[in-house]
Amino acid sequence: MTDIVQSLTDSTHRAPQRPMIALEGVSKTYPKQRRPAVAELNLAVPEGAIVILIGPSGCGKTTTLKMMNRLIEPTTGRILLDGEDVTDVNADQLRRRIGYVIQQVGLFPHLSIADNIAVVPTMLGWDKRRITSRVDELLHLVGMEPAEFRDRYPRQLSGGQQQRVGVARGLAADPSVMLMDEPFGAIDPITRERLQDEFLEVQRQVAKTICFVTHDLSEAVKLGDRIAVFAAGGRLAQYDTPSEVLAHPADDFVAEFIGSGTAVRRLSLLELRHLELEEIVTSHGGAPTVPHSGTVYDAVDVMLAAHSPLVVVVDDDGQPRGALRWDTLVSDLRTKGPPR
Amino acid sequence: MGSYVQYLSENSSELIFYAEQHFLLVLYSVTFASVISLALALVLHTNQLAPPSWRRSLRVSSRETSLLLASAALTIPSLALFGLLQPVLGLGVTPSIVALTLYAIYPVLRNTVAGLASVDPAVLEAARGVGMGPVRRMLRVQLPLAWPVIISGIRTAVLILISIAVVAALINGPGFGKPLQDGLARLGAVNSFNEVITGTLGCLVVAAGYEIIFVVVLRFTTPRGIRD
Repeated sequence: MTDIVQSLTDSTHRAPQRPMIALEGVSKTYPKQRRPAVAELNLAVPEGAIVILIGPSGCGKTTTLKMMNRLIEPTTGRILLDGEDVTDVNADQLRRRIGYVIQQVGLFPHLSIADNIAVVPTMLGWDKRRITSRVDELLHLVGMEPAEFRDRYPRQLSGGQQQRVGVARGLAADPSVMLMDEPFGAIDPITRERLQDEFLEVQRQVAKTICFVTHDLSEAVKLGDRIAVFAAGGRLAQYDTPSEVLAHPADDFVAEFIGSGTAVRRLSLLELRHLELEEIVTSHGGAPTVPHSGTVYDAVDVMLAAHSPLVVVVDDDGQPRGALRWDTLVSDLRTKGPPR
Repeated sequence: MGSYVQYLSENSSELIFYAEQHFLLVLYSVTFASVISLALALVLHTNQLAPPSWRRSLRVSSRETSLLLASAALTIPSLALFGLLQPVLGLGVTPSIVALTLYAIYPVLRNTVAGLASVDPAVLEAARGVGMGPVRRMLRVQLPLAWPVIISGIRTAVLILISIAVVAALINGPGFGKPLQDGLARLGAVNSFNEVITGTLGCLVVAAGYEIIFVVVLRFTTPRGIRD
């Protein structure tokens, strides 16, 4: 009983948008450069959210990310981690509390997969048994069989497997925050898609606060709860949900950056289960089907592939839930609730 | 040929003594040189003394300066160096070791620097990102990864020293330099040519001994993940 009360008060006390990471007036000017790479940036990353930092090269998105764990020291401003000012604390100890995953993965080639994952827990002085069980747990989480991979070495793994281990290493000491710098950027498109799906699945289980740098808009829309669009000079041009950014770009720069095709991109944000569908009638027999866990994007894909102006949306048990018509799609699409 | 075998068997205990001396002379010198070079390289790479904005230029300039000095030492003719050290350190073992140490620093230092620089920057960034400080980064990541290159530098130094060490006989140093120079000095006399051959072959035998040791050491000190 007290537990329930406790959790209720907890959830009410925790303001819904309480930032896990907050940058306050943060600027970075590199030595011998006149113009700042990041200027007077204010950014709040809500707890448990995936925030995507996106923008053209040289816009300061990576600089911003690296200031969060102080791999790059800000010139001015404050960094708050879970309400605590970490601008001046010991940087090495700070980094052990924050997961860090980079594009080149950077596994330690001379250490086994288990030892790579165990790096931070070892530094934190965990006992051996706890480390071993944590390593196995994480390998399971990222979809790798511990018995098979524990004792291998990085060079024996494919690029995709290495990055899975990279993510596991970042999660090892159960940090509340993960920083990811284009983690899937160097991976072939098919593996990347799969890693993204797995990543979302992992995030559903671990619910970390994640900052994620990418220059791939599709990736940003697919993974992000919120997107921060950076313009040259480290200016934060827009910071909003993916559908808002696509529907209402804040200025010309954002509009140009997201480019054409935003209407199609937005389709992938709309889940079929949130749509108001037509009643099923017998004449629909033989129409192609699409699972209701999919998005409108998937439905369009199925319609185009099957040359059918109509799809039947089915639930997890394969039972028809309703029908979606091409005409409705282009003229009058209605949702039951807000998308995401 | 038969007479040479007879010469060997008659002088075997003396020859074994020379081999032992030669081996140890090189061992001591190369050990000192390795310790000096490694310490130098590690301190240069991990120092936190200078303000951050200076560190990089300080590291580069101190590295280049020490490499320059070490290469200058290597260019001094060995005959001259042994002669120059004699007034200060006298004759015998000590000046021999000092001179050989000076010669060995360059190959070891060069390879240590090259090995440390060859470590993948992404690996070092990851090490920083997970919260390893400069010393831990050096000892846990950079040094193990650079180790095969460093070892090959030490190996080169050993080979160089084995041949330079014969010059140590000039100042009464130990090793195969003694029979070699005795033989050369009295060329034409009884057994003189045998002595010259023995001095030369002796160096080869010592070198072979070192090669075997290096194969074993490399095998057991290279981390499994980066072994060929």
